[in-house]
Amino acid sequence: MEEQLKNNIPEGTEDTDTPLDQNVRLMSPTRMVVRRFFRSRLSIIGLIMIVGLFLFSFVGPLIYTQWGEIELDESGKTEYATAETTYTVNGVEYTLHQTTEKSLKDNFLAPPSAEHILGTDNEGYDIFVRLMYGGRISLIVSFIAVFLITILGVFMGGIAGFFGGVVDNVIMRVCDVLICLPGIPILLIISTILDASGIDAKYRIYLLMIYLTFISWPGTARLVRGQILSLREQEYMVAAEAMGYSAPRKIFKHLVPNVMPQLIVQMSLSLGSMILYEATLSYLNLGVKAPYAAWGTMINIISTNQDILQNHLNVWVPAGICIVIAVLGFNFVGDGLRDALDPKARR
Amino acid sequence: MSKTNHLSGKEVRAIAKENKKIIKKLEAYKNRKAPESEYLTEMKDDSNILEIDDLHTYFFTEQGVVKAVNGVSFNIPKHATVGVVGESGCGKSVTSMSVMRLIQGPAGQIYSGSIRFNAKEADGTEKVYDVAKMPMRDIHKIRGNQIAMIFQEPMTSLNPVFTIGQQLDEVTFINNPKATKETAKARSIEMLNLVGIAIPERVYNSFPHELSGGMRQRVMISMALAADPRLIIADEPTTALDVTIQAQILDLLRDLKEKIDGSIMLITHDLGIIAEMADYVVVMYAGRVIEQGTVQEIFHNPMHPYTIGLQKSKPTLDSDSDTLFNIPGNVPNPINMPNYCYFRERCSSCTKKCAGEYPGMIQVSPTHYVACHLYGEEQNNG
Amino acid sequence: MAEEQKNVTPASDNLLEVHNLRKCFPLKKTITGKVTRELIAVDDVSFSLKAGETLGIVGESGCGKTTLGRAILKLHQPTSGRIFFEGQDITDYTSSQMREIRKKMQIIFQDPYSSLPPRSTVGGILSEPVEVHNIVPKDQVKEYVLDLMDKCGLRSYYYERYPHEFSGGQRQRICIARALSVNPKLVICDEPVSALDVSIQAQIINLLKRLQQEMDLTYVFISHDLSVVKFISDKIGVMYLGSMVEFGTKEDIFANPLHPYTQALFSAIPYPDPDVKMNRIILSGDIPSPANPPKGCRFHTRCPHAKEICKEVTPEYKDYGNGHCAACHLLNE
Repeated sequence: MEEQLKNNIPEGTEDTDTPLDQNVRLMSPTRMVVRRFFRSRLSIIGLIMIVGLFLFSFVGPLIYTQWGEIELDESGKTEYATAETTYTVNGVEYTLHQTTEKSLKDNFLAPPSAEHILGTDNEGYDIFVRLMYGGRISLIVSFIAVFLITILGVFMGGIAGFFGGVVDNVIMRVCDVLICLPGIPILLIISTILDASGIDAKYRIYLLMIYLTFISWPGTARLVRGQILSLREQEYMVAAEAMGYSAPRKIFKHLVPNVMPQLIVQMSLSLGSMILYEATLSYLNLGVKAPYAAWGTMINIISTNQDILQNHLNVWVPAGICIVIAVLGFNFVGDGLRDALDPKARR
Repeated sequence: MSKTNHLSGKEVRAIAKENKKIIKKLEAYKNRKAPESEYLTEMKDDSNILEIDDLHTYFFTEQGVVKAVNGVSFNIPKHATVGVVGESGCGKSVTSMSVMRLIQGPAGQIYSGSIRFNAKEADGTEKVYDVAKMPMRDIHKIRGNQIAMIFQEPMTSLNPVFTIGQQLDEVTFINNPKATKETAKARSIEMLNLVGIAIPERVYNSFPHELSGGMRQRVMISMALAADPRLIIADEPTTALDVTIQAQILDLLRDLKEKIDGSIMLITHDLGIIAEMADYVVVMYAGRVIEQGTVQEIFHNPMHPYTIGLQKSKPTLDSDSDTLFNIPGNVPNPINMPNYCYFRERCSSCTKKCAGEYPGMIQVSPTHYVACHLYGEEQNNG
Repeated sequence: MAEEQKNVTPASDNLLEVHNLRKCFPLKKTITGKVTRELIAVDDVSFSLKAGETLGIVGESGCGKTTLGRAILKLHQPTSGRIFFEGQDITDYTSSQMREIRKKMQIIFQDPYSSLPPRSTVGGILSEPVEVHNIVPKDQVKEYVLDLMDKCGLRSYYYERYPHEFSGGQRQRICIARALSVNPKLVICDEPVSALDVSIQAQIINLLKRLQQEMDLTYVFISHDLSVVKFISDKIGVMYLGSMVEFGTKEDIFANPLHPYTQALFSAIPYPDPDVKMNRIILSGDIPSPANPPKGCRFHTRCPHAKEICKEVTPEYKDYGNGHCAACHLLNE
């Protein structure tokens, strides 16, 4: 037996692929992520919410073309109001008949009907249609903001984490300062400046979101920096160093792709908060201005008229629901993605 | 060979569905309430402390069922040290975890088989439990007090927020509810003395992070001994330690072997440690026992080509060859194992017979068994 | 001191020469950046290595063997001392100067799991260095990489796969292939087989040995496993708490270990034969923390033969004939 083995010493350095370690078929990483994502019911609900909102805002107006975003319903009729007042003068009863004519071109505050699914607002705009257009603004604006935040954050965080030392110190102190800035008061000031400079109402929201980007990137930068600090100690980074790769290659080809999972999670979570920001701005009448629609602006109507707050729920509640759905949806998807992409971060 | 070697979505869903069904059944069995009579049993041989009989421990993963322990049988005699040796993924640790019932559910489950353990009650009578059939709520009857475990990582096995003394006393309190603070402390100091700690009072009052790796492993050993267990499972007790510290711990374990009244199940990948410590050796490969026997038989007359290869592939200080003997190929991952010798593709003495089904255990001597087709014939003819 | 060191000239036939290499890591700094406490990871280590030779470095955890390996590659900037590679003093090279040298010296790590980037394919991992250093023209890169994979015992269809699909042994082959892709002269092997199973260890060691002959490599082989080091090395250095306590050819070290630590290390290895009962030298106590090493000879706290002088005076590192060096007071008697 011993002899037999000695004669048969196999060519040692050859890696024979035995069917036994080949018969194991693993799940592809993509499938693993997808499976983990869909295992949680909440992330499915979140996904449905977001896909629904997107269809509603971007495809909806193409299908439901009865009314436009700033198209007034001018089907208002002339109203005749009659009033009877009875006076008693010296025991004789007089009745006074008064008829007033009220001519209304716009059909405002109409209740939900076949013509206006959710009724009209105080100006006579169709609420349902304005919800769709409002969604467009909210989603586009927050996507742009998150995109810019991520680019800036990855760049600054990447440099800070990789080089460390003075560079890191400077960038992180800038972050600290930016985090200290009170967001809303400065927004109010900027908004006033924008008002004074007479910028088109349509574009002012984009300018405000650029400001938001400017004060929000430190969050992403800190995340990226932290990740890079821990990844830098991994042996494959030491190997990259030993290979003599240049610094940009090491940062953007080796480190940043490995930060992607955390980054995607962070992005989806900050989408929710950007939508909230946008709604707040519009609500304060700083963002999208009438006649253009935004969810915040639509809720803002209640501040003009107490009556609407109490008696015309159809005017402002749908916009509120849309905001809640959007924020919840992005947060659910974010949490689901975190579980799927970064299983170690769970619990 | 295709580029992608991945499961399709359909297969993944089928696996998940199947797993869910089995896990539910096994979990219910684990958590059931059962009278003691249901898991009391008889030893096959009264001189054994532990008999593992056709044990199957599976992990129901998303990639398929990992048969980590696939029909393992061996015995641990009283007052003996049994070494379990094998490479990573061979199921040696899972076997020991099964004995302690520490398999992490819901994915990991004891699927079938029995683990008979001869427990000694407080009144001195012996009772035989089938550990595999015990419900989890009754497991405290054997865990810790009858069977103790020493883990590989002395760094993480001690709780960092309690002093060594508190952790040691706790063991005494659990096993002996009548113990007072003073008797528990006396016992703990005695235990620390036993494992060769020079100033036990100081160690008693220190926190785990204040001790070195070797010291912590000594503390772990003293904790395992504190309950006076009948069986100690040492899972790679020296792997995380440096060579000179390993020598100290091995020396200590050898010493303790004579002092304590129990058996040791020593799990390691190092044949040198086995040769020094064990009386009996069990060699495992891909979830199965491929050879077992006394330490002399395994080292002087190894029969399975894997055992032979393992012994030859480790360079020794007095060998002077130019190339090392090596076993080609890789250790298989025990999912979807076919029914033929798992070692077939890596074996240099493979014959036509090896294409057939998995070889059974062949008895070579009263204590020596091997699972290899090379020896079946001899047995039949002779 | 520094002036003196600069004047050291290397012998012409040595590929690598290390003179009085020292590496400290700051533990505590004052607010102005002044170091108040430091960990001396590598202390005054010198050796030389000829092309084609293998130097084995043995020691326990915390003895500075990994730091030494990385300091030679200048992955850690040495605190003092000189490193000569191919006769050039590379100690003060800037990182851009080093980039050219990098392709001549490479490293293989212990952990095959963390040393491969998880999001690149094997093909990507292996062709990147070839492209960065322009080893072969662009259109021949794939061919070159496949040839290299074949040399390292990797199947060509692994090219498109990701590291997570492989077992430890195969990953270590990928690491070896990556290190060799730039045609290095010197390879630092930092515990390349410690994380592997016994049967796979033998494969990797044989592979390293074969590649050394085929590609004319020089190895610095760092390991805590004496038997592996003995198998692969020509020269051996034994380290304890940052300093080299013994250095010599394999034959000298094994036939006649001078330092008591080397002797203890040899006898500590369990011998795979139940009938051989070793007469073991068991060292008492633990390895002291490198942040707070003992005075005098660093080994005196555990040395079975320690004398009064050992506690006070650091022993000199001396040549005891034929390049067999050691640092121990006992040898001077």
